[in-house]
Amino acid sequence: MSELIRRCNYFFLYDGSKVKGEGDPTREGICYFYPEETPLDKQDLLCGQLAGVGRCVSELSSSPVRVLRLSRNKYAIRMRDDFFWALGCSVEVPTISVCELLDQLIDLFCFYNGSVRQSYQLNSRETLAARWAQYLSHLQSGSSELHRIFSCLRTIDSTNVDPLLLLKAALILQACQRCPLVLAGCILFRGRVVSTQMSPELTMKVMVHESETYTKAQKPNGPSTSSSFGAAVSSTTVFLTMSELQYLQSTPVDKDFSSHSTPRKDAPLKKTRLSRTLSDMASTESDSSDPGPSQSPQKVSCSPCLSESDNSVFSPSPLQSTADPVNPSPQSPEPPFSNGKHSREAEDEVLEESYYQSFHSNGGGDSQIHSKGDGSVSHLNGGGGDACGTVFDFRGVESGSEKTHDDKVVGDGGVGCGSAQGHKEEVRHPPPCSGSFDNPEESPLIPMTLYLHRVKGLVLALLVEPHFLSDTASMEEVYHSSLASLNGLEAHLRTISPGAPGAPGAYIFAHFDCTQSTLTTNLSGRPGGAPEHPFVRATSLLHSHFCNTETLQEAIIRSAGAAVYGTRSVAQETYFQQHGGSPRNSGIPNHQDSAFSLPSKARHRLLKHGVNLL
Amino acid sequence: MKCLLIASESAEVLFHWTDLEFQQNIQEQYGASQEEGQGLPAFEDSISTLFAPIIISCSTMVDRLGDSYTSFTTENNHIYILHQFDECLYIAVNGDGEEGEDDLRRKIYVMKKMIEVLFGMVTLSGKLLRKELRPQDTEQRARLWKHLQSLLETYSHLRENDQSFLVEAVERLIHPTLCEQCIEFLERRLVQQLNSSVERAGEEVLHAFILVHTKLLAFYSSRNASTLATSDLLALIIMAQNMYPSNVDVDDPGPEDVESTSGSGPESFYTPEPSPTDRDSSGSDKPVRGSTPVFEFMDPDIQMAEDSLQTLEVPPPDPSTPRRVFLEVSSKDGIYPMMPHSMYCLPLWPGITLVLLTKIPTNAVATSVYKFLEAFAKLEKRLSEGQEGSAATRGQLTIHDIRGKLDKFIKALGPSELQCIDLDPVNLTYLEDFPGLIHFICVDRSTGQMIAPSLNITERTTSELGKGPLAQFIKSKVWSLVSTTRRFLQKGYSTVTLRDGDFYFCYFLWFENETGYKLEAGDIPILPDDSAPIGMLAWDYYRKLLRYYSKNHQGEVVKCYELLTVHLGVIPTEIILQHCRQLASKLWEPSRNPLL
Repeated sequence: MSELIRRCNYFFLYDGSKVKGEGDPTREGICYFYPEETPLDKQDLLCGQLAGVGRCVSELSSSPVRVLRLSRNKYAIRMRDDFFWALGCSVEVPTISVCELLDQLIDLFCFYNGSVRQSYQLNSRETLAARWAQYLSHLQSGSSELHRIFSCLRTIDSTNVDPLLLLKAALILQACQRCPLVLAGCILFRGRVVSTQMSPELTMKVMVHESETYTKAQKPNGPSTSSSFGAAVSSTTVFLTMSELQYLQSTPVDKDFSSHSTPRKDAPLKKTRLSRTLSDMASTESDSSDPGPSQSPQKVSCSPCLSESDNSVFSPSPLQSTADPVNPSPQSPEPPFSNGKHSREAEDEVLEESYYQSFHSNGGGDSQIHSKGDGSVSHLNGGGGDACGTVFDFRGVESGSEKTHDDKVVGDGGVGCGSAQGHKEEVRHPPPCSGSFDNPEESPLIPMTLYLHRVKGLVLALLVEPHFLSDTASMEEVYHSSLASLNGLEAHLRTISPGAPGAPGAYIFAHFDCTQSTLTTNLSGRPGGAPEHPFVRATSLLHSHFCNTETLQEAIIRSAGAAVYGTRSVAQETYFQQHGGSPRNSGIPNHQDSAFSLPSKARHRLLKHGVNLL
Repeated sequence: MKCLLIASESAEVLFHWTDLEFQQNIQEQYGASQEEGQGLPAFEDSISTLFAPIIISCSTMVDRLGDSYTSFTTENNHIYILHQFDECLYIAVNGDGEEGEDDLRRKIYVMKKMIEVLFGMVTLSGKLLRKELRPQDTEQRARLWKHLQSLLETYSHLRENDQSFLVEAVERLIHPTLCEQCIEFLERRLVQQLNSSVERAGEEVLHAFILVHTKLLAFYSSRNASTLATSDLLALIIMAQNMYPSNVDVDDPGPEDVESTSGSGPESFYTPEPSPTDRDSSGSDKPVRGSTPVFEFMDPDIQMAEDSLQTLEVPPPDPSTPRRVFLEVSSKDGIYPMMPHSMYCLPLWPGITLVLLTKIPTNAVATSVYKFLEAFAKLEKRLSEGQEGSAATRGQLTIHDIRGKLDKFIKALGPSELQCIDLDPVNLTYLEDFPGLIHFICVDRSTGQMIAPSLNITERTTSELGKGPLAQFIKSKVWSLVSTTRRFLQKGYSTVTLRDGDFYFCYFLWFENETGYKLEAGDIPILPDDSAPIGMLAWDYYRKLLRYYSKNHQGEVVKCYELLTVHLGVIPTEIILQHCRQLASKLWEPSRNPLL
């Protein structure tokens, strides 16, 4: 941790409800403080002062504080109910990035743990401290300064990868979606995105769990990887916001609309698309209008949360009940628990649901990152990666035995602890919706399941309905239909050399795709040492400026050291710097000045990187 | 919703200014927390109570962490800027989106500058300043705060509406003949006569200048005077505007008015709006800017035959009562900040003001500031006594006489000529010369002077930009362009071009030597976000920049220029850059501007 450039200097969560009385020590309110080795009195001081000033300012302005700046540190702040989060970075980090980082961190926590208040009611501070630390370290690690500026996804270097492999990944995901219980998925290789059907924000959240299991798998004496098979299939409960769920469940045609009509409250409006796959790139228009095989109405009908009326949320809705087959009102403006009448009921249910989860989880409740399945793959026939040539090795999980079945397994009971009893539970508490009541205005969180199937460095991550785990037939179908292709894909990706380090060319560029939240750059992506790079500094400034000025289309800025050109459209931001060839200039306006030829040079040079600025 | 507050370390309010909305907000909050039956507490108490936790937390953070708050932002985009100057904490708040962080920080620095100009070296001691800013006597305190509040409002108004306060450089009127005549008058008839008078009681006129609204028509400094710093000059213009607000937005005469004044019809005279006196003005009776000016139609000869003082003395502040101001003096030994001067401000004509700066012999500086102040107080008294009876002033050039002479002089010039000059300071037909160019501002940072076409935004007037909403829109673009380029300059970028909507903006900063040779672009220092605002009024960034740049150009006089342009976006960039180049070389040509 210490070797990483620490982007975040301080992070803490302070619970003001624990410090109401005059005599209550500040310490009582500190839920988590990073760095943990900070002396306690300094923790007290920072929490007490910042939370105090934050409260005072929010009262004066009748609005929660968002940013607190000091001369040496700046803090992104989130205040919800009595909770006070603060994330402190050095003042050089753009404010917008600090705020994004804090939002990501809190969103991550909620994604894996549900509501913060409930998490702290159900778990010890120590347990949750470990999770905050994990998320924080995940967000800080491994990415370059440029990636941090844009808070973008880390993707495989598509210039090095045969486009057919990307197509293959996309097809695997589409095949999985044939199962009506599968909402969406993504394929990751060594911590980088190969293909995803989810929004960038959601993909980013899923990747935390992936990297966690990956690290565990990598460690020679890791806890759960003693057998040669490892835990190929695992799952964990995750919590989606209403808008995330609605987005996943809407048809691709509607997605553009729904992403506009239900934007996240404080996130900049981003157009998101279903799938970042090659097939999309090839023929964007036709693809998006084609409902495709994965969008059968049946799939939609399995999501009780989307039924038209609030009442149905509370009434038993059997699995096969057919709601509106066309479109179950994905844009229902009101979250199910927005009215107080239902909230208490919902809260009770949430508690029960949570106990249910912890009761049934293997790890005994403390860890929700647990392995439920134990199926694994033995080998791949010929490594050709073609589906019909594979041999399956699927171990029934419920048996727990080491016995392997060749060819297909006939699933009898449920899979893992989901089992028959779990199914009944599902029926008794049909709506797996748990409210996050941290803020009544925010949509409640709905528990879903994240299913992971790992093949060495490759991971298939699927967001599935919770009862997918108890539906043996579906699980097997998904497992078997993807197994061979995953093996093939992994074998291919593994052999790809990590590409020659971008030769120090005549220019540097960075191209950010806002829709897919991906970055293409020829600047060495090594973490560390980057922020003082003139190109990174200029990019960071221009990006902030673009974010704050809607009408701005392009800009050239020049210091004594470098001239950088930036341009943006709704979907992308591109930055370009030409090396060398900058003769003496006085800074006086001069049309022969090389700085002003940057736009045409960028247009010309970036074409070969697939960046079209015309 | 706006507020500016100065507090001592013990959370005592030393000064506050709030707009009505902020005041109501505070009162509502305070009212809510008050118990029933109790009346609302005094506003000062409420504001002090509400801000106290923030102020105390500030000192705790400084004491225990060695770090201090610089800003807060809320989710509904209220901005709080905090800055500690010695023992005084300044807090500026905006909750209506009209001011950004930079604007608020600038406001804080300007407030500090005005306090320095008014109180001088006292500001160097927290204790003394506390006494000055918060007199025991509540009436006295109210008067002082009212005065400071009105200065702050004048400044804010100018910053929002006047280009020279946007870029913080003095705008000169380019009217060679008139200007020469005025300078001659200032030199021969005013400064020389006053300074040779035996009765001047040691007071010596150093600088004399004539302002048309906020623009400089003529400036004369006596031979042994040091240069008047741009920062001080801008502060004095704020003070002059505060005494005699010019309503520049509405008073600019349209072409018809000019025609009518040159004809034989009745002359139109503006009566300056009653300005609040320094002593008993109150913020609420301050004339609302933009209100219709009062016109008086009468025979000019009759008018002039009478003692013009009669009409001019309607506004309560007595121009012959000097205001003590503390200005920078640079001599061979070095730079002395905050040296006491007296400022006489005389309204000559509506919107036209004569300012005299006088100084007591400098050898007194060496003794002590307090002796200075004492002597000054005496001097003031004598001057005011001298004005009482006409017998005492016989044979002596009094302020009244000066004004009488000036009035005659101005009359001689002819009103039409005078009224013409506040039309367009840049007499360029730039629309024809530079097709596609919408606006530009050119600043010579070594002298602190700027040239720009006027941006008239009222219905009555037509500038080259047209009028009404369009001009207003372009004005808002220019204002945001300046703030953007400053942000980049702060981070070391001296060239910026932006394509924004239908416009193309350019900004250039460059250095030249005295002969006009363009020097190589050098490193510009990178400053932190909470550094002093870039400008010349409150903190002279460019003076520091020049000093920094000159390190590598020893023995050369380095000059610094800035050019901002706004073009239509459809114009090819090559053409735009050619325009910029032409403007950059043309504007400061000696033939164009005889004053430079």
